[in-house]
Order: sequence, then structure tokens, then C-alpha cells
Amino acid sequence: MNALAYAWRSLVRQPARAVLGVLGVAAVGALLFDMLLLSEGLVLSMRDLLDRTGYDIRVTAGDPGRDAGPLIDEAAAVAAAVSAQPSVRSAITVRLADARLAGASSAVRPRRAFLQGIGGEGGRPWTRRRGRDPMGTLEVVLNDEGVRALGVEIGSEVTVSVSSCSGNEEAPPPVTFRVVGVVTFPFDSPDDITAGLTAAGLADACGTDDHGVAHAVMVASRGDAARAAADISTLRPDLRVLTTDEALGAFQEQGFSYFRQISTVLTTVTVSFALLLIAVLLTVSVNQRLGEIAALRALGFSRRRVVADVLCESALTVGIGGGLSLPLGALLAVWLDSILKRMPEIPTELHFFVYHSDALLVHVSLLAATALLAALYPMATVARLPIAATLRNEVVS
Amino acid sequence: MIVRADDISRVFAMPAGPVVAVRNVSLGIGPGDYVAISGPSGCGKSTLLHMLGCVDTPSSGTLLFDQHDVSCMSDYARSLVRLRHIGFVFQRFFLLPMLTAWENVELPQAEAGVPRSERRARTGELLAYVGLASRADHRPSQLSGGEMQRVAIARALANRPRLVLADEPTGELDRSTGQQIAALLDRINADGTALVIVTHDSALAEHARRLLTMRDGRVEEEGGR
Repeated sequence: MNALAYAWRSLVRQPARAVLGVLGVAAVGALLFDMLLLSEGLVLSMRDLLDRTGYDIRVTAGDPGRDAGPLIDEAAAVAAAVSAQPSVRSAITVRLADARLAGASSAVRPRRAFLQGIGGEGGRPWTRRRGRDPMGTLEVVLNDEGVRALGVEIGSEVTVSVSSCSGNEEAPPPVTFRVVGVVTFPFDSPDDITAGLTAAGLADACGTDDHGVAHAVMVASRGDAARAAADISTLRPDLRVLTTDEALGAFQEQGFSYFRQISTVLTTVTVSFALLLIAVLLTVSVNQRLGEIAALRALGFSRRRVVADVLCESALTVGIGGGLSLPLGALLAVWLDSILKRMPEIPTELHFFVYHSDALLVHVSLLAATALLAALYPMATVARLPIAATLRNEVVS
Repeated sequence: MIVRADDISRVFAMPAGPVVAVRNVSLGIGPGDYVAISGPSGCGKSTLLHMLGCVDTPSSGTLLFDQHDVSCMSDYARSLVRLRHIGFVFQRFFLLPMLTAWENVELPQAEAGVPRSERRARTGELLAYVGLASRADHRPSQLSGGEMQRVAIARALANRPRLVLADEPTGELDRSTGQQIAALLDRINADGTALVIVTHDSALAEHARRLLTMRDGRVEEEGGR
């Protein structure tokens, strides 16, 4: 019987203690797994959303801050010049505006909406689900919430009343657009209505004839975003150029760092708890069996062997508990994610807990280290056990 | 000679000062010997037994096992000597409660690297030898005290030791069961294994061919029959 089989028998011998240990590790391991998913989850999810636009560089006239930011004059010309760079595959202009949208039915009240006016030849920064992208000036695509809330479908008309549009201080008259498609915008919140138009369509809705201005130029590189960004900066040093990596880096330094700090603190606490739990259980188990262990040593079992028995017992407890912690942690992550996503203005597709292989690797490594560290004291107890004195004490007691 | 002690002593450092458990004992155990060590509690019997079994080492003097100085052996080397050449029987049996009688007897063989088929044959043979073939699948908690001690004896014999050491092997048993164990030990000795037993039980001690009486760590008297 090898050390692992012996350790298994030792665990099964005291099922209540074994179950307590395994469930403790499973609970702690689930929390640990979730903390690891949380530490990088938001950044990974944000990257995924940014990637879904199909563009990996954003060019703006300044820091967007909390609003759309300043306009880029002659953005269409900028996009054309950027597109001509060898490192760039395509570029589009994006102009943003707030509006109220109304369907044909007077029974449905107008709703606040965000407008995205897209210019240029590249792909649209949304995912088309039905219909087609807007091509004519008076065509629009809506997200699901827009279609549902306004009671419209493809082919219906919606009236767009722009309430806030950079470049025009006066409220322009309403303009009627025809719905040509239903799309998903990556950063939509559950109750957001977002509409996509052509740049010319948004200019009409804004009551201006300046089709060329935009809040941003979105650029798709040919694979090397850093090089493309450098080329654009050289071309237009007056503009701010941010790759997806840089944008995420900036996010991480600001708001996202809180999640990482919380995750680090909670990870440390959960690992410490697991360490103490296993160390206590193993120490109690070893102390209950000192006579048996001394007898095994007297029978010729080496010090290495009895130490291996303890280590295997620790590894089994942590291994089984750790195995259970993964599905438990996954279920817990789904639940916690749904709670956090109830916060206002959180995009529907943004997740706080995101699986990544590094999390699994760190989880397994931390639990393995925990099993080893937790077993250190009981292993030392067994290794230093004085055989003769222990046998004598067992008889006397 | 299997084991030879020349003028060995064992001193324990205690908070109140050193305690000499065994003083200047010299003796030899040869193949087929049957030695009983008796004496009052605390006279050093078990300490001497532990030294003879390479569980403990003398503070002074020389202890040779198969002509090798035990004090010069590493812990691992002494473990190997115990595993391959010495069998231990304890007063409290110390069977592993989660293992069956069969597994308890098989365990030291597995540790010694005996092949599986040989282990099976040897374990079956030993359980039959101690009269417990029918209780092979029973755990210690399902056995009586006498049966547990017989399993422990079978375990001590598992790796065909040349020397079996028994510390109060009948200490936890009633008189009748003790006599059965004494008879079993006689058989083991008759089959060629050297035996050293520590006992308060004069009836058991009478089975030995040599009787050492200890007092205050010294062998006061050595007799034979």
C-alpha cells in the first residue's frame, strides 16, 4: 500500500473529519477561484467588447472624459488620410448625439436614445442581427430595446429629435428615418436605446450640413496596432491616439484597479483560511494517531514514508476539495456577476467574472502550495516523532 | 550473534536532571534465543528493548546489530534494519484501524517491496499460522484482544525477521488469552526466530530459556531453564 492509498484510507477512516476538510476547501477554493476570475474579469470583458467593434485604435481630439469629448474637424479627411497608411486596414468616423425617438404609434411615448453616426467605408461598430446597415441618409438601425420600446420593426418609421448635438446649440427640428436593421451595440445597457445612422444622417438630424465632423476616428490596424498608432500620431500629432491595449491600461490604472485590489485582499484571506483549516485538521489527525505512527516507524517505516503519508493526506483533501471548488466557483461567479450587473449603466455584455486559463493555473498553484504549507507542521511533527518515547507514553496513558 | 550490547547505557535529559534508564548492560541475542526481561515498572526494560530493536540508540557503550554499530547508522538505515530483520509486538497492538487483518499483515511487506504475489501467499500463510485465516477481512474493531494480538504477531513476522521483540505482549489480555499468545510465541521461537519479551507476567517469562531481571537500569540477575 503506497502513501497515497494509505492516506486515502486514513481519510475514509474518519469520514466526518474528511468531509469537513473537503467541504471547507471546496468553499474556500470556490471563493478563491471567483476572486481570480474577478481580478482580470472586467478588463478581459472590456477588451472583448472593444474587440467586437472590429477596431483596435481610437483617435480623438482630446480626453473624452464623461461626455463624448470635443469634435475632430474634418474627421472624414482624417479617416481617409489614416486609411491610406500602410499599417492601417480601414478607418471610420463616429459622431455621437443624444436624442428622443418616437415610433409611428402615438400610444408609445418617445424614448431617450443614443445616436451613433458612422462615416467611411469600414465595417460598422455593431453586430447586425437582422436587416441591413443604413446606407441612405434617412435610414437607421436600432438595438433590440429600441425596437421593443418604440414598437417598431424593419420598414417602420421613427422620428428622431436630437436634444444634444455638438456643433449646434439650437434644438433642430425632428427628422423621420426608416428602420432598416436590428443590431447589437457592444456597450448597450439593458434599458438603453441606441440607434446607428450614417454620418450624413446624423448631420441631418443635428440640423447641420457638416457631414465631416466626428467625435472619434476608429481605426483597424493590419495586425500591429502599436505601429499603426505610431504612424497616425506622426501623421496627426495634434490628435490623441489610443490603442485598445493603451485604453485598457488606462482603465486598469483608474477604476478597474479597485477590483484587482479587492480581489488580491480576498484571495489572501481565503488562502490563509484554507491553510489554517487544513493545518488544524491534519494536526489533529496526526496527534490522534501518534501511537500508530510510532508503531509504524518501529516496524521499519522510514521517516520519509510517514511524512509522505501526511503530505498525501493533505494533497487528497485539498485535491478533492479543489476539484469541487471549480464547478462551485463557476456557479457562484454566475450568481455574483448577475448581482453586480444590476448596477446602473453596466453594459449588458460586460462581465465581472470571466474565465481565463491563467486563473485556473493560479488557482491550482495556490491550492497546491496551500496543501504543502498546511502539511508542513504536521509533517514536521511526524518527522521529529521520538519513536521510543511515544510508544512508552502511549502505554502509560 | 544477531545483536550484541556491550556496556550500553541510556540517559534521558529531563528538566529535573538526567535520568539513567539503562546502566552498563551487556548481553547478546543469538539465532533461536528466547529471552524474557522482567523487573519492576520504570526499571528500564522497555528502554533496553527499544535499543535492542534499533528504535533507540545508547547514550554510551556499543550496540552491534549483525556486527554493525547501530549508533553509526542513519535513521533510514535503522529503519531498514527494523523493516527487514526485526519484528515488533506491542502491548496495545497498534494495528491500523482502517485496515483489515489481511492488510495489516501485508503492509510491512509492501513497504519492504515484496512482490504482490509473494505478499498474498505470505499473508495467507501467516494468518493461518496464527489461526485467523477466517478473520482476514475483519478490521481490528471487529476482533477480540487476543485476536488483535495474534494479527500483530503475524504482522511482526511478515518480513521473516530474525528477531522478534515483544513489549508486554499479554499486558492487555486475560490469563487464558495470554496463555494462547504465550503458546504462539513458543511456536515462533521453535520455528527458529529469536525472541525477546519484556513482561511482568511470570507465567509468560517462564516460557523463555533466559530470564533477565532488571532493577534501576541494571541487569541484576540472569537465569535460565
